[in-house]
Amino acid sequence: PRQANPSIPSRSLPARQPANVLEEARTRLHVSSVPESLPCREQEFQDIYSFVESKITDGTGGCMYISGVPGTGKTATVHEVIRCLQHAADADQIPPFTFVEINGMKMTEPHQAYVQVLQKLTGQKATADHAAALLERRFSKPAPRKETTVLLVDELDLLWTRKQNVMYNLFDWPTRRHARLVVLTIANTMDLPERIMINRVASRLGLTRMSFQPYTFKQLQQILTSRLNKLKAFEEDALQLVSRKVAALSGDARRCLDICRRATEICELVGMGHVMEALNEMFSSAYVAAIRSASLQEQLFLRAVIAEFRRLGLEEATFQQVLLQHQALCRVEGLPPVGVSEGLAACLRLGACRLLLLDSSRLGLLMRVRLNASQDDVLFALKAD
Amino acid sequence: MTAALQQPGYEEERLRRAAEQLACREPQAAMLLALMGEPHHYSFPSIFIYGHQASGKSHVMQVLLKELELPHATVSCVECLYAALLFEQVLLSFFGCDAASLLPRSPSLSDFVRVYRQQRFQSPARQTRYIVMEKAEHLRDADANVLPAFLRLQELVEDNVTVVLLSAIVWDKFRPNTGCFEPLLLHFPDYSKGELHQILSRDKHPSYSAELYSSYITILLGVFYSVCRDLRELRHLAALNFSKFCEPLLEGRAKETDAHKLWRNIEPHLKKAMRTVYLREVSSLQWEQMQQMEETECKAVRGLSAHTHVELPYYSKFLLIAAYLASYNPARTDKRFFLKHHGRIKKTNFSKKNEKTSNHLLGPKPFPLDRLLAIFYSVVDSRVAPSASVFSQISSLVTLQLLTKVSHDDQLDAPKYKCSVSMDFICAVSRTVNFDIIKYLYDFL
Repeated sequence: PRQANPSIPSRSLPARQPANVLEEARTRLHVSSVPESLPCREQEFQDIYSFVESKITDGTGGCMYISGVPGTGKTATVHEVIRCLQHAADADQIPPFTFVEINGMKMTEPHQAYVQVLQKLTGQKATADHAAALLERRFSKPAPRKETTVLLVDELDLLWTRKQNVMYNLFDWPTRRHARLVVLTIANTMDLPERIMINRVASRLGLTRMSFQPYTFKQLQQILTSRLNKLKAFEEDALQLVSRKVAALSGDARRCLDICRRATEICELVGMGHVMEALNEMFSSAYVAAIRSASLQEQLFLRAVIAEFRRLGLEEATFQQVLLQHQALCRVEGLPPVGVSEGLAACLRLGACRLLLLDSSRLGLLMRVRLNASQDDVLFALKAD
Repeated sequence: MTAALQQPGYEEERLRRAAEQLACREPQAAMLLALMGEPHHYSFPSIFIYGHQASGKSHVMQVLLKELELPHATVSCVECLYAALLFEQVLLSFFGCDAASLLPRSPSLSDFVRVYRQQRFQSPARQTRYIVMEKAEHLRDADANVLPAFLRLQELVEDNVTVVLLSAIVWDKFRPNTGCFEPLLLHFPDYSKGELHQILSRDKHPSYSAELYSSYITILLGVFYSVCRDLRELRHLAALNFSKFCEPLLEGRAKETDAHKLWRNIEPHLKKAMRTVYLREVSSLQWEQMQQMEETECKAVRGLSAHTHVELPYYSKFLLIAAYLASYNPARTDKRFFLKHHGRIKKTNFSKKNEKTSNHLLGPKPFPLDRLLAIFYSVVDSRVAPSASVFSQISSLVTLQLLTKVSHDDQLDAPKYKCSVSMDFICAVSRTVNFDIIKYLYDFL
């Protein structure tokens, strides 16, 4: 078979080097530029490192489950562990090992996991069933001079199938005597094994668990300063504001970096004002802005919806009921009364931008109308002007 | 009578010929023509035309496109079960067979757009291309992306193309929930009585004068206008009954000027036609034959709905009667009707004062199989074994659509049924087995 390596066309001019401080800061703050060492994750690094290292030196296998909300450095930490271990293996401190990584999100179908693992291990291409059989044989048969394999499974929850055979196999292989397989799995929720896995799968996953806590504001600030590395692009207070805001909301480091990058785009030497602006851009509710810029009839329709909800004491009304309120409101405002088509058009426009949740427009007058934003938000947006 | 359509860019002669064919639709045609602009102009991306049945939507579009020789594709959305057929037809009429064969086996919307763009590149549009979609309401049942895509096809394929949607349903019921490009709405109003008269008078009989035909149409509209304003239906009726109208003239009993005599002759005939031909009780062919056979009364032929008699086996009849009783009687009255020694019944228990409507107005109620069999054994005098044949008769009554199964198909124990036959039908059936059903019906007590 023809061996061809896929490649993308290379650019004709080399990429521009950062010219000034801000551009330098922007490249360093980019989410994809992972630093050499991750600040604030030393403990987790140590735990994973010792777990994998002990398995490699003992020549046994095992599983580990790593959880944490997005942007807490799970994947980056595991990659750093593997990098360090590879250095150690190159220096002959530990036996050599092979590292394979798969990501549930990059697969069209859970069974593709077998195909990808096999291809990364041996370069062989096979169908899912065949690949599963080959891997099964590989991990269950004793072989001399077998290396330990470290398998990283990212986005584990997407490998769920009804019979859970993919998950079962991934966790069952390490328990074989001759497998020498270490499986590291990463997912977002802490109780994933209890929630979606059947007992025999969860028990094979074992109890070696680790959860990554969201970053506190101090850690976020440390990450930002280590990224910037004495670059004078940010005021100290500005960095603190960003990290406090993000820590209060999610503790997502990626979010933090994005906001800082946005702030560098706004101005020279980033001060408090610019950071505030960037924060407002990224955190403020789009609903309020959408309602404020809606047309007069659309705003009236929203008011009619709320009035009808108050009257009914329910959070749902038919279009017919709301239209009567709308027409009454028009009369109060001294506007010409709206017709059915006009009211329906306003309603469906609001539905199309998801301010309202609607049934199919075929139902006409019997279409049910619900609000997608909270009533307080809508009232706030309507009252502000 | 026709004010000539005017629009620069088209030949006078063609416009005049088009205008001749568009009686009583001049304002709409003029509006459409103005929207189309000159042949090479860009028109609106999508135009939505709505109006009642037979208000000339397709006719106006077809006449304009044919007479002015504009490139167009006419697609009926009823025929296009799948969007694939629709794509094929559009490509076929714009670019010929070769383009249509470029589509893959089950083309998606993006395939269509790709092939269209490729073809457009080879043969660029010198004139606006028109896609006319008749019965566009069926587009809503196609994939969710088809209707929004056709509404902004001009933008997608970057070609001078206009999509015209024709429908009897208003645009409000078309709008997808995710929003879409709003088409230009154009309403075709109903024809008034005068306009109907004018249009119907156009197809006069060659051997009679125009005035005679016109007075015939006046009489016809006088009878039918209150129940029917559909031009097609009226035209059909006019063609069907004209020979009867002319009969006195042929026989020499009246002259063309004896309007009253002619009216006296035709009016009862038309009223009879409303009861029979208009409801399709008697087919048009039968009606014509009846008119030729002078003597036979029109009533002599029994219409479709008179054939309510169905031959059924003996026990099937009783099963059907039992089903009817179970559907239209409340269950609490079963004891009184069907038990021999039911003991004393309190009068109050049976008074119907607090029941507002009769069960016959509300329609049949569902009943379980057990109740059907209990009533069946009670109304059949002889002993019937609950054999397989009884149960198979029940299921064959379901397949004959005399009963309806209301429970799920997979429910084998305690299935529920409804009786779906009319009162007249069940009375006829019970008469054949000498069973007085009225005595057992709660509504008629």
